[in-house]
Amino acid sequence: MLPRDKEPDLPPDPVIEAYKKDIDRTLLRETLKQTPAQRLAKLQDFMRSVAGLRGAGRRRA
Amino acid sequence: MSDFTDFARFVLALTEADVDFIIVDGVAGSLHGAARATYDLDIVYARAATNLARLVAALDGLQPYLRGAPKGLPFRWDVETLARGLNFTLTTSAGDIDLLGEIAGGGRYEDLIAHTIEVQAFGVTCRCVTLRTLIALKRAAGRPRDFDAIAELEVLLEEQERMELEQARNGTVSRPFPT
Repeated sequence: MLPRDKEPDLPPDPVIEAYKKDIDRTLLRETLKQTPAQRLAKLQDFMRSVAGLRGAGRRRA
Repeated sequence: MSDFTDFARFVLALTEADVDFIIVDGVAGSLHGAARATYDLDIVYARAATNLARLVAALDGLQPYLRGAPKGLPFRWDVETLARGLNFTLTTSAGDIDLLGEIAGGGRYEDLIAHTIEVQAFGVTCRCVTLRTLIALKRAAGRPRDFDAIAELEVLLEEQERMELEQARNGTVSRPFPT
């Protein structure tokens, strides 16, 4: 359980540290320039595109 | 039931019905700036009887049904069903939503509320876990498939802290979203 009114400490986890080398920091720096509303709208647009592609695939099959 | 999850529809339905809820998991990551796609909305909801009634009303028009369950089960979307269970993975006409009465590492709504921030999304204000808390929750879940997502969130935290330091040095405006 999280301590109340205190942000959790996050000691380094060696497994997670190993995964970090593959993360695209440039991409994250770009998303950090957006507002939360813009980030969510972008995610929603992406979901809509994926659904469109899936639908197109189903129609072709 | 739906080709994609309509996050806006869920968020608007929940806020309009005045449901006490906290956004967690993938959508919370997106709100904080994660680039990873997520396919459902996960919320921690308050278990108070009044809130259960609001939650039922909020999703009532979306034909909620147990995700992955065989068709035709006598599943009833009502306060009694919610009160008898705790965590529900649902599919609806607006996509998939997970309703968590309790979350590993974070407890219930009342335990988690001190670790949230208000965010503006789809024209409304809602609550989302802080980035540090989101990382702690994902670590507590202990799922190997989350390792990549946790790494991304931790890099995000590093980048936010780096930006914060830079802005403090330059005396520029703060980020649009706190950690």
